[in-house]
Amino acid sequence: MTEILHTLVAAGITHVVGLPDNTSAPLFDALSDHLWIRLVTVTREGEAFAIASGLWLGGASPLVVIQNTGLLESGDSLRGTAVRMGAPIPILVTGRGYSKMKKAGLAPSDPRERDLLTRRDIDSVALLTEPTLEAWGVPFERCEGEDDPSAVLARTIESALSTERPTAVVMARGFT
Amino acid sequence: MLTRAQVLDPLIQHRTDEIVVTTMGATRPWGRISDSDLDFASADSAMGHAADLALGIALARPDRTVVCLNGDGSMLMTLGTLATVVGSEVTNYVLFVMDNGVFEITGHQSVAGSGQIDYAAMAQATGFQRVFFFEDARSYAESVGEILTQPGPTLVHLLVEPGSEGPISRDDREKGRYLRTSLADWSRIFKAALETKD
Repeated sequence: MTEILHTLVAAGITHVVGLPDNTSAPLFDALSDHLWIRLVTVTREGEAFAIASGLWLGGASPLVVIQNTGLLESGDSLRGTAVRMGAPIPILVTGRGYSKMKKAGLAPSDPRERDLLTRRDIDSVALLTEPTLEAWGVPFERCEGEDDPSAVLARTIESALSTERPTAVVMARGFT
Repeated sequence: MLTRAQVLDPLIQHRTDEIVVTTMGATRPWGRISDSDLDFASADSAMGHAADLALGIALARPDRTVVCLNGDGSMLMTLGTLATVVGSEVTNYVLFVMDNGVFEITGHQSVAGSGQIDYAAMAQATGFQRVFFFEDARSYAESVGEILTQPGPTLVHLLVEPGSEGPISRDDREKGRYLRTSLADWSRIFKAALETKD
């Protein structure tokens, strides 16, 4: 977690806005009394994009941290604020269901047929996350396996800034 | 019950350097009477998210009071934002709920719980520092100065008459300057204004 925090500080992140899940909970714990980064916990993920967009308007540098289930809840908020504003908001999306998907030998590119989406050993959110980001015009990079989460997050933040649009990292593994 | 003009006119008379975020039925009327770079129209749908967008601005700029002109239909979409506001410990935040009981832009269909919801009580129970309720223009006009200057977070519940505003667009036919540009362009005008007016 220390490396992630160093990455956020080095990138100038001033606020983390979002909701914790089991993957991101250690980050939220670490930020609860952080010296430089302020944590804004929301009640529903759609709020996070509006708040982050407002923070950016006010001159701050926010990062949104939400689970992929919450990403699906956030559609019109993300579209109507950060995307329409051309706001460079980096998004850390934790990837619920990716381990089950991998274990089943499936990939986000597999056809999303009824039989697949209703299988009890599959968490359908993993199958829907990346196609949703593509549909919404949000560039993303998946962090998995031996990828370095801090390095991928740093690239995502830099990409959001350089392209002036919300940009995501899908964290398909733990932070450490 | 107040008219929309009876809400907005005293507000602009007392405004100094406050940021004003508008949405839905308040967007066009505010654009007719205000021409400030510190106005922001949350008018590209994302309905319900003006209050949280305004919260983000307030958190980034604690030196400025941020006023959000929300509607009751929009407020109902993100009631959780009341908790987020309180949890954020923001003090420079004033949330107006202009309660006309209807979805005005789509033709006056009733909102859920129309006429039955006490937003001021709801905000007070959530932990807002100050709450107000107005159903007459005079008492509201006498209180606007205090509303804008005292620490919050503050929620102002106003009973207003339904108007006749239609759907909002971003084009040259709009009177409000903040509706005659794209949201992306206005965002940069707004940001620049905030930076230069430090």
